[in-house]
Amino acid sequence: MEPFDPSIQDFLAGRLWLRAHTPFSPKMIDAHIEAGHIKIVPGVVASKGKVSRKRYFCNRCENDQPYRFTTFECVKCEGACTYCRNCLKMGRVSSCSELITWTGPAPNYPTAHTMAWEGMLTPLQQRASDELTKSTEAGRPHLVHAVCGAGKTEILFEPIHRLLLLGKRVCIAAPRVDVILELEPRLRAAFPDTMIEALYGGAETAYKPSQLVLATTHQLYRFRQAFDTIFVDEADAFPYTADETLRKAVQKAAKKNAPIHAVTATPSDALIALTKRNGAISTINRRYHGYPLPVPRYASLWRYEKQLQKGKLPQKLEAWTKERLQQKQPFLIFFHHIALMNTALPYFQQLDNRIQAVHAAHPDRKQFVQALRKEEVPGLLTTTILERGITIPNVQVAVIGAEQRIFNKGALIQIGGRVGRSSQFPTGDFVLFHHGITYAMDEAKREIHRLNKGGVRDE
Amino acid sequence: MNECLLCAQPMRSSPSWRALLGIDENSKICLDCSKMFERADIVEEGASLNRITSVFTYNEAMREFLHQYKFLQDVALADVFSKELRSYLRKEGTIVPIPMHLEKKRERTFAHVDELLKSAGISYSHLLEKTGTEVMGEKTKEQRLSMAPLFRLKENIEKIDGIYILVDDIYTTGTTLRHAAALLKEAGATRVEAVTLIRA
Repeated sequence: MEPFDPSIQDFLAGRLWLRAHTPFSPKMIDAHIEAGHIKIVPGVVASKGKVSRKRYFCNRCENDQPYRFTTFECVKCEGACTYCRNCLKMGRVSSCSELITWTGPAPNYPTAHTMAWEGMLTPLQQRASDELTKSTEAGRPHLVHAVCGAGKTEILFEPIHRLLLLGKRVCIAAPRVDVILELEPRLRAAFPDTMIEALYGGAETAYKPSQLVLATTHQLYRFRQAFDTIFVDEADAFPYTADETLRKAVQKAAKKNAPIHAVTATPSDALIALTKRNGAISTINRRYHGYPLPVPRYASLWRYEKQLQKGKLPQKLEAWTKERLQQKQPFLIFFHHIALMNTALPYFQQLDNRIQAVHAAHPDRKQFVQALRKEEVPGLLTTTILERGITIPNVQVAVIGAEQRIFNKGALIQIGGRVGRSSQFPTGDFVLFHHGITYAMDEAKREIHRLNKGGVRDE
Repeated sequence: MNECLLCAQPMRSSPSWRALLGIDENSKICLDCSKMFERADIVEEGASLNRITSVFTYNEAMREFLHQYKFLQDVALADVFSKELRSYLRKEGTIVPIPMHLEKKRERTFAHVDELLKSAGISYSHLLEKTGTEVMGEKTKEQRLSMAPLFRLKENIEKIDGIYILVDDIYTTGTTLRHAAALLKEAGATRVEAVTLIRA
């Protein structure tokens, strides 16, 4: 066996990395390639298509949609070169760029880990946790269908701990960066001796070994056969369900036969059907504190869009906001469209100039959410980006334009799930301001009632 | 499928006779994204450079555009402003793109100004050659003003004549354009103008 550098092994094991972006010297990489510890994979490959047109395939993100490739005259390789636009933001991968992956001996991960979380699981949580462990051992996919505020993360602790003790490598993936940011401190506290890495766009790459990886599903483009088990948190969130390359990325990142579990409060019918076929499902329809889910209340807000555009807050909305301010209750107001939210922002700021608005591309999103938690900001206007993954004690929630298509049943249940999460404040207002009632609103309400009655899914 | 080059959202385009006949061009970016760019339409006139025209201002959206185009090497974005560039370059004169140093060009894998012109279907001729690998953005104003010539004429070009239009992506202090214009005038150009995509 040729010798190798353990720091390269630690970093590259399970990864699929642009050769030009490695932090190691080219000489070291060359030596490892020579020794057979590193394999080179071409970035973009072409194959003959049906109509004599070439089909392209990106080896990093597995994109094969023709409209997401661009071919140009490359000065570097002096010819026609094709690059993938699907994963461009992680550094361009083209016909003439090389990806490298570790083919040397697999790293040995430690088998000594402490689980420092000392809370108690409710009987329902305990059952789901046990079932999840059983599925992991059997290598079959498992769906944890637990209502918002059921304490999903704690359910994962025991199964993860067992895997770590066996020296296995584990990944928790989520489509949204907010979810990863919320998970990171909790897992670091729960597993203080474990090498944990959190990966998301804009995070610093730590060139250290990591046995437990928390990553946005996008980041898994950069992994290949890395994990013994993957837990996909919020498995029904956008863009995971809409983007096939993300689902393929999760599969690519898992080792052969490694189970891929899903955790969500609002699984799609397709996910339930799929898991039923070859896996198992645990359902928890009670919050960990035992209080029922807040039921949405309808309030008409006719022609709210026109009113906002005319430059005034609709009366009911103004009254609602004023009451929150007066009672010093933090609040979230959901909008269906960024432009409308920005139109409305100045009128809210007339009530309190600390009120802010956030959306997916907002640079200060992290800080504003943090400020809301610390009560430095009384409330936030938001798009559906904050529909899940965040916990703010005593938060009150309003949806403006609940009849809009973007607020489907799942989104409304998730949004309502922000309310009453802490045992100190187990209730709160969840109001749907609308210009007409939709089926989605009624379905969400019915589902919440059903869960509160402790009902099981209608078959 | 047709999706916006910038935000990757699907774009709806209804078929029309005008599009079919090639009178209307399909936009490469969606309406929401195109609203983010701000037209400048600035014209400056001077002695050495007879006229500088800039199409857009340098706002946040444009900063991001340039980052994705030049730093992330997204050549496809050369298409985004081809219509605007074409309308500004529909005039008499030889079009001369500001060149890149070969080393830089290899690093980026493409010449960003050339690609803008290619996408717009505008023919151009390279008369200039970069002498060094300096990057303007990294220099202070004093350094820019006291610089040795940035360009030389390409080999086998000695005498030129007529109107020349320089093209660059961004016009900040104008050092680059002035150096290029002075050289062209010295070699015999009667008039030198410039068109830049952005006025910083």
